[in-house]
Amino acid sequence: MRKIILFFLVIITMLPAALYAQGITVTGTIKDVEGVLPGATVYEKGIPSNLVITGSTGKFKLTLKGQSNTLVITFIGYSTQEFHVGARKNDLDIILQPNAEGLDEVAVVGFTKSKRVTSTGAVSSIQAAEIRTVPTANVQNALAGRLPGFFSQQTSGQPGKDASDFFIRGVSSLNASNQPLILVDDIEYTYDQLQQINVNEIESISILKDASSTAIYGIKGANGVLIVTTRRGKKGAPQFNLRVEGGLQSPTKVPKFLNSYQSATLVDEAETNDGVAPDALTFQPSDLAAFKNNSDPYGHPNTDWYNEIFRKYTYQANTNLDISGGNDRVKYFISGGAFTQNGNTKNFNDPQDLVNTNYYFTRYDFRSNLDLKANKTLDLRLDVTTRFGDLNTPGLNTPISTIYDFKTENPFSAPFINPNGTYAYNNSVFNTSKEPTLNAQLANGGYQHNRRTDFNVLIGGVQNLSSITDGLTLTARVAFASSEDYGIHTTYLAGNPNVTFPTYYYNSATKTYTKNPAAPYVVQQFQIFGGTDLYTNNTNIQLFSNYDRTFGDNHFTGLFLVNQQEINDQASAPQNYRGLSLKVGYDYKQKYLLEVNSAYNGTDRFAAGHQFGFFPAFGAGYVLSKEKFFKDALPTFSLFKLRFSYGVVGSDGAPGNQYIYQQTYNQGGLYGFGETAPQTPITGIFEGTLGNPDVVWERDRKADLGVDMNLLHDKLSVTFDVFHDLRYDEFIIPGAIPEVLGVGVPYINAGRVSNHGYDGQISYHDNIGKVQYNASLVISYAKNKILYEEETQPAYPNLARTGNPINQPFGYHFLNYYTQAQINQATAYINKYGSNAPLLQNGKVIASDPIGVPAYADSQNGITTLHAGDLRYADLNGDGVIDANDQKAIGYPNLPNTSAGLTLGAAYKGFSISVLFQGSWNYSVIITGNGIEPFESQFQPIDLKAWTPATAATAQFPRLSTNFSGTVDSPSGYPSDYWYINAWYLRVKTIDIGYQLPTKLLPFHVNNARIYFSAYNLFTWDNFSNKYQQDPEVASNTAGDQYINARVINLGVQLGF
Amino acid sequence: MMKNYKIILLLVGAVSLVTACKKYETFPIAQITIDRVFDPRDSLGTNAYAFLENVYATMLNGHNRVGGDYLDAATDDAVSSAASSSNQVTQLSTDAYNSGTFADGAGDNVWANYYSGIRQANIFIANIGVVPVEATLPKHPGISMKYAWKNEARFLRAYFYFELVKRYGGVPLLGDKVYNVTDNLALPRNTFSDCINYIVSECNAIKGDSILQAPYASTANYGRVTNAAVLALKAKVLLYAASPLFNGTTLVKDAGTGQGPRNTTNAAIVGYPSADPNRWQLAASAAQDVINLGVFSLDQNGFQDIFLTQNNPELIFIRQGDNGYNVESNNGPIGFPSAVSKGVTSPTQNLVNAFPMISGLNINDPNGHYNPDSPYARRDPRLLYTVFVNGQQWLNTNLQLYQGGQSIPNSGVQQTISGYYLHKFMGHSEALNSYAAHSEDWVIFRYAEMLLDYAEAENEAVGPNAADYQVLKTIRGRAGIAAGSDGNYGIQSLSSITQDSLRSAIHNERRIEFAFEEQRFFDLRRWKVAPAYMDQQRLGLQLISNGQLTYNYVPILPAIFKINSFTPKQYLQPIPYGEVVKNPQMQQNPGW
Repeated sequence: MRKIILFFLVIITMLPAALYAQGITVTGTIKDVEGVLPGATVYEKGIPSNLVITGSTGKFKLTLKGQSNTLVITFIGYSTQEFHVGARKNDLDIILQPNAEGLDEVAVVGFTKSKRVTSTGAVSSIQAAEIRTVPTANVQNALAGRLPGFFSQQTSGQPGKDASDFFIRGVSSLNASNQPLILVDDIEYTYDQLQQINVNEIESISILKDASSTAIYGIKGANGVLIVTTRRGKKGAPQFNLRVEGGLQSPTKVPKFLNSYQSATLVDEAETNDGVAPDALTFQPSDLAAFKNNSDPYGHPNTDWYNEIFRKYTYQANTNLDISGGNDRVKYFISGGAFTQNGNTKNFNDPQDLVNTNYYFTRYDFRSNLDLKANKTLDLRLDVTTRFGDLNTPGLNTPISTIYDFKTENPFSAPFINPNGTYAYNNSVFNTSKEPTLNAQLANGGYQHNRRTDFNVLIGGVQNLSSITDGLTLTARVAFASSEDYGIHTTYLAGNPNVTFPTYYYNSATKTYTKNPAAPYVVQQFQIFGGTDLYTNNTNIQLFSNYDRTFGDNHFTGLFLVNQQEINDQASAPQNYRGLSLKVGYDYKQKYLLEVNSAYNGTDRFAAGHQFGFFPAFGAGYVLSKEKFFKDALPTFSLFKLRFSYGVVGSDGAPGNQYIYQQTYNQGGLYGFGETAPQTPITGIFEGTLGNPDVVWERDRKADLGVDMNLLHDKLSVTFDVFHDLRYDEFIIPGAIPEVLGVGVPYINAGRVSNHGYDGQISYHDNIGKVQYNASLVISYAKNKILYEEETQPAYPNLARTGNPINQPFGYHFLNYYTQAQINQATAYINKYGSNAPLLQNGKVIASDPIGVPAYADSQNGITTLHAGDLRYADLNGDGVIDANDQKAIGYPNLPNTSAGLTLGAAYKGFSISVLFQGSWNYSVIITGNGIEPFESQFQPIDLKAWTPATAATAQFPRLSTNFSGTVDSPSGYPSDYWYINAWYLRVKTIDIGYQLPTKLLPFHVNNARIYFSAYNLFTWDNFSNKYQQDPEVASNTAGDQYINARVINLGVQLGF
Repeated sequence: MMKNYKIILLLVGAVSLVTACKKYETFPIAQITIDRVFDPRDSLGTNAYAFLENVYATMLNGHNRVGGDYLDAATDDAVSSAASSSNQVTQLSTDAYNSGTFADGAGDNVWANYYSGIRQANIFIANIGVVPVEATLPKHPGISMKYAWKNEARFLRAYFYFELVKRYGGVPLLGDKVYNVTDNLALPRNTFSDCINYIVSECNAIKGDSILQAPYASTANYGRVTNAAVLALKAKVLLYAASPLFNGTTLVKDAGTGQGPRNTTNAAIVGYPSADPNRWQLAASAAQDVINLGVFSLDQNGFQDIFLTQNNPELIFIRQGDNGYNVESNNGPIGFPSAVSKGVTSPTQNLVNAFPMISGLNINDPNGHYNPDSPYARRDPRLLYTVFVNGQQWLNTNLQLYQGGQSIPNSGVQQTISGYYLHKFMGHSEALNSYAAHSEDWVIFRYAEMLLDYAEAENEAVGPNAADYQVLKTIRGRAGIAAGSDGNYGIQSLSSITQDSLRSAIHNERRIEFAFEEQRFFDLRRWKVAPAYMDQQRLGLQLISNGQLTYNYVPILPAIFKINSFTPKQYLQPIPYGEVVKNPQMQQNPGW
């Protein structure tokens, strides 16, 4: 800052005195897409000394002196804009466009801030204003595709539970603990707490990726750090901001199921495949005809359960009000918000009993951030936040998973409702459990309700110690973050839905009703049972000192931190952390940059003597663009910086969060003496898994090489990093300890995983006439590889996990559908030699080229359980049997290793549009069980393409069988590359189109008004819709019957006054 | 300015105060550590005793132990009703497995279980000394009960080693050492001779006063190790050591080299390289020691009663089981809605044919008057308590064991594939409508076995004599076989019987007396007679009821399984694949 002021002073003194002063006075308001911008600098082009700073309402008044008739508006975080003053001179509206890549752009890093021009670490950040209108409840959902190095997966769209999982630069740990450290105003939050935060309260978000930026977090930094900074008040009159939004949610993918006629036809096809005689088929021609022409809607129902149960659109609304302002002594930011999301099922509950069994989520947020100037050198702050959440889910089955479940719902099992208005139960040969229909369950099944309260307080003070030495401050903070989640579950007296409420079967031939034999005649008493109470609280005490001073060309910064933290929850012993961190930075003329970071911190998760670790890192930068030779050669570069960082960071995420260093003795193993019957055995005690007193944290050696470039007058900026991380000392259970040891082996620090990749961002902004436009491409790639996990040498090399990525799926390799000729060949082989016959006898091959058959298929007599049209897999070890030894690594892990986002924006006067395309590549998805397997799942369109002798050449699905899940074709029993999809997707992730009304049109004291349309997950393209009907981010290796991710289209209005 | 320092000092003070007050939790207090298990202040020894109970619990309960089947379903006595290529006993029976096939506890892989037991026993032995147990031995009031406990742990450890040795040959002996992960665990296998000597010396060391003396002093002690159990273990170990498989082993030559890694097994590891007939004498006198205790006798309440009445005079050592009817639910005849069963075990016709007539004569003996149209009439009474046959009373019904009958409905549910169901070990549900709970203790040593062990060893050592001949008569007499006019229970007279004939008689007597007691699987191997029996077709009965009964005997093992398949490598079980991979010192067994 000092330099900038100096710069201005120099320019002012050098200015020629003889300039025309035209004396035109210009007034107006500086805004961004969100609203007014207090603190922006407005000066006259050519006369930088003629400047004003906008007040809290964004207004300015400037008298022009020169002849350019042009204003220049600058503000950190926004593109500098020139505005030509034409005929209109008053009530001008000038709207700035955000630009995160300016030279002086600052990112919040640990306990301080870092400028783009002098940073040596790999840090990406975003101003929350850019994502404030994204219609999603969770801040992490809005970050996908916007930050290089950020990977996320949103596996559910359920209101209140739709937050994405996210990782920074992929995953490196063989254990579950790959989650980044989350800090909100320097206080650690959990994933759960983060998703409760209202984006309206957030100023900026940064992610720290390399050793140089994460080392000060020491034992907790190895998975990267996500830093959220909340908004604070600015000096000026109170500024009110109100935003009201309403939106419609709809599923990103609507699953289609076959109707009764199609399903019944396929049932017959499967039964025929199984050898059922034509006259014994479940559905005879008369049944099929009845289904086809719908002549018997109760005896032969054709119920479209999905459309009967689910809405096409559901409502969500979001309202925020914030007030900020202040004076020399006090500054404040106060915000309140209400967010509500409705669920996707129709309302079936009895209007009289007021029991809401639908999904919904409501959240209220309140935040008050106060800054007090106690005196000239002491600043105090008090931040208080509370959040209340209400989460409702249906009490019985999850509707989507029930819809998929063939054994519960299928189109011919029941009418939606009986002719006399009573509920039906599912009654067919495939629904022997006679469950009530889904609408009956939703009407009477009660609800689960969770109420959540979050409460956070932060009290702190900053003492300016310039009396000791200039640039020195001392900060103390005490923060308390807690949350409690209390859940209750209500339903009727008996838990089993079959016997809970009366349902009837209507016989259309005799026109009689039969009550479900197990059910009562009347609905029983409504009761509350089962409660859960989860809480967590986190007390954090920090004391740190910052130093920042320039001596001529030498600029020093420093940070010394002491902190302590205690985390409690309802289930575990308290976790304690304590540590010291030190950071020293130096730069010479902003040309040569050096930073050393370190932490000495520890946790009580490990044995005394092994609790504290030292984590050092350094970063260095070289700003070539400050060199004369570079300027001469490539004058278009305003910034060209190379930086490199290297260091070691830790992760204490012990598996199961247990005290793994400790040897325990457990109770179990009943045994008793004596001859009394029944005997009363006593509970034995036995030695549990050995402890390893030497166990310590995992370490991550991170190396990062990056380049930052700004060129074409800062219009184009590029940041690109390549990294190579090595996670070592990972917790693994050694696989090479012989069993003669006689007891479970403890974790040791020995695993090694490498993780390398790149991430970067290219941004460009410019204008064509009065149309400003910008584009930004973000790309992230991270690929890991298990180098060592001490696995037991597998029997066959294709089974080895080492060398593959973490969570690599294994499965069979699909060759083709068995032909009848191959079945015959295999049968002949087995009948001749027996399935267990060795291929070699006395060194001679006795059976050449056997057709590999699944291990189960040769039960009873020959391979009667295998048929033409079943999936044939490669017999990798050539033993004639397909079994677990024939599996190999197939596809990719489920977490994508490549992710990209492209933001395109344009603005013209008050109009603006911004679109984010986001996509992920290189991940694998498999759907199993109810999601795809016939007779487990309702019939889906792809089942029509099943293998039959006639369609063998074009089949896209194995032969149907009533026992599909028990055959070699089952994706759950025999995962293979037939079922694993190497997937990609591309989405129009978010879109924002708005119009800011001219200020002069605004009535009363309104100084800003914007109406906008925004959307989330608007369009999706992926490569597996022809096989699976799921959203591309669905959790792999499941039935894929989670609450479907939502597409949201949203209208909003924002007012400032 | 000074005022600010005060405020800051106050803040710093507050922070450091809060910091100073926090005590780090250095260990989680809720967990049991070893000094609470073996507690010098615990005069009752409560936790130490609980630890010992868990060592006992390591013993395997043989009821439906192997993948839900009896181990005997891997012999010629039975097949699993679930016989398929993924069925474990069927794999064992037909050589369809290898060292990597069976995970811990699957198949007959007991390696990890018993090494775990050995470790637990060693921990107990090493630590029990500090516990001041006040209780004393009933017959030796001066001796603290903890010495008995310690010897019980030593017995169990020796028993665990025997269970390993009879399957694998010589195994690594760990002594009293409780190993840690940091110790060298690449232990070589000890020789067979070392292992036998170790087990025997342990038995000799603990058989004295500081252990409970048989018979049980109180019913509360039923199930605990006594001096008799120690002697019985020693007798059995020596019997195995004297048997042809181990006594002068030719296994390495017979089985040849296999495909497994480090298949260079030393002959001394899998048995005694040279035969010594005197080992039979040692076995005989060890069995004689048990008999000479004079505290056991055959249960004269009948064959069935042995397994149902606890603490009957025949039981030497048992593994405690539930009080229930799991045996019935797993193995009983199917088709009873009030007493559901899985009918897992299908005893073979081969076994049925091994039971003599009530006269003691073989069914092929023309003087036995065996009637093929009424094959179960006038048979050894043990037959009908070993298997269920058609028409036998059960659950207030005459069993329908013909095709399409109540218990062989051929309706797709699992049913016997041999035409017989297992009856042994079951309670008295003949005249009940549902199963009644009963003791399901698993018998490890019983007096009848000591008698037959003695007879076998004595016959091998010195040939037929009055003592070993008498054993057979005693066993048969208790079984209910008629003594006959010559009082020889159908056996050739002592004066004319040869050593070979008596051996055959003893072998067959073991088969029918101990069916489903996990004897035959090992007996066939240690006698080195497995090919003669295991290579025969497993036959079953296909009974057709068509006004009259037609008895058809058919092969029951699905055609895909190899018969004529017994290979010499199967005499011993393979060392688990992982153990050989992890330990460069670990030699695989011949042929695996």
